[in-house]
Amino acid sequence: MPLPSPTPDKTSDAAMTRRSFLRGTAAVGGLTALAASLSPLRELDEFTNTEQFLQKYYKELTPDEMARVLKRIEGEVEKQYGVRPHVRDLKPMDGVEFVYCLNLTRCIGCRKCVHACVAENNQSRSPEIQYIRVLRLPHGSLDIEKAEHNYDAKQVPEPGFFYMPVQCQQCKNPPCVKVCPVNATWQEKDGITVIDYDWCIGCRYCEAACPYWARRFNFAKPQIPKDRVNPNMAYLGNRPRKQGVMEKCHFCIQRTRAGRYPACLEVCPVGARKFGNILDPESEVSFILKTKRVFIQLKEEMGTSPRFFYYFDK
Amino acid sequence: METPPRPTPPAPAGRTNLWLGGVTLLFVALAAMFAKNLWGHVEPQKPLPLVDKKFLDTTPWRKTYADLVKAKEDLSDYDCYGCHEKGKPPPIRFDDKHKIIIPKEHSNIVMGHGSHDRNDHCWNCHNEQTLVTLQARAGQDVKFDNIPALCGSCHGPTYRDWEAGAHGRISGYWDRKRGAAERLSCANCHNPHAPRIGGREPAPGPHPLRDPHPAPATAQPAH
Repeated sequence: MPLPSPTPDKTSDAAMTRRSFLRGTAAVGGLTALAASLSPLRELDEFTNTEQFLQKYYKELTPDEMARVLKRIEGEVEKQYGVRPHVRDLKPMDGVEFVYCLNLTRCIGCRKCVHACVAENNQSRSPEIQYIRVLRLPHGSLDIEKAEHNYDAKQVPEPGFFYMPVQCQQCKNPPCVKVCPVNATWQEKDGITVIDYDWCIGCRYCEAACPYWARRFNFAKPQIPKDRVNPNMAYLGNRPRKQGVMEKCHFCIQRTRAGRYPACLEVCPVGARKFGNILDPESEVSFILKTKRVFIQLKEEMGTSPRFFYYFDK
Repeated sequence: METPPRPTPPAPAGRTNLWLGGVTLLFVALAAMFAKNLWGHVEPQKPLPLVDKKFLDTTPWRKTYADLVKAKEDLSDYDCYGCHEKGKPPPIRFDDKHKIIIPKEHSNIVMGHGSHDRNDHCWNCHNEQTLVTLQARAGQDVKFDNIPALCGSCHGPTYRDWEAGAHGRISGYWDRKRGAAERLSCANCHNPHAPRIGGREPAPGPHPLRDPHPAPATAQPAH
């Protein structure tokens, strides 16, 4: 870059003025700083993808564009994790609203649901991300302040305690959706609050807004061993996330929108977890809400109106 | 960087150029080191241990007679007339505390049904006339592959819940139009002779938050 001629200098150092020296130093320093500040970009090789960068908002994608996006994701996942997945974009069904019921009389706190969820939904194993948090509470209290989730017993259930697994409550009035500045998370008509991982900017407002600590942030690139990747994926569901985006329980969209039960329910050894369509009067959840002692929507006073109900058998 | 042509610089300018060159070199070196990531290099985190696959297992705890028939497995346990005589109820002996004495041929049976083991008589559920069937509360004959009918004859509310899908495990399809839901039978989880289910080993807790000194139950949850 030719520098403009410096003003003629009366001093002896005519070749190098203070100004040109500072300019040169600033230019080199600036370039160095720029190179240094951009250097982390070299680690983001899998994200420097114009196709993804220019991708439209989920709700504006035409079926053709969606098909291209799914193909791109399949390619990316195969490149990163060595497994060819089957990624689908499953839409909510008409006349279906999902509700989850959890039987606190039955839950033994074995945490199998936590790990079945991790296995089903391709959560990062390292660092660890888990959607379900199993709280241990002393008998006779429902005070969440007394809850402990790091219990390390040889055998469960421990005498004197009961267990309350907490995950995304799929609220009817979700505070996380309200705070999202880019509409990357929204509630679908079947009641599932979803996240578009390609649209999320990672501001973590939703994590702060959620009263149930249900949202998780990918602080690092998720690590999933090849033999533990679940290839049955959905765009709004369990496709692998990237560093810097939020994720949370989505009622196993890739299973439930295909008519199946969620993974945490199928693994529960005591049958404490019940799931179904609340608009169907014959479903298990309708039966439970009609006949059982359904005692809470967790933190009911927050006005979030969860679709996740806790109940007792006896 | 171009500078306009100048007359031969005097000595002080040479010193300045030397400085400028040195600084430039320093910066170039810095840039190269940044680019090579010689420092600030984050050690990759040691991968956390993976959870044992036994915690991901969805198979039921027990196998019922119906499962054994389906899987064409060994049914010799149900071959009552291999030892017993047809039409002749086997005698049942009690000790001096009126506890049933389990014969050594049936030593695998643990009697523990009901609070205080009150349901402690074989013929409460087994049919003494035809040993290959069971008998419900009101005396109806129940086949071994139809256990819920037997259990339901006493455990009414539980049977009602089970029928509605609210008690017990279920898997498969919630949407019955797309596929079947797989229901488990009572004996898939409960041992009919001792139905209370004991403790289990829990799967590992959340790793990054695991505290070597567990907090008392009244502590605030870490989050």
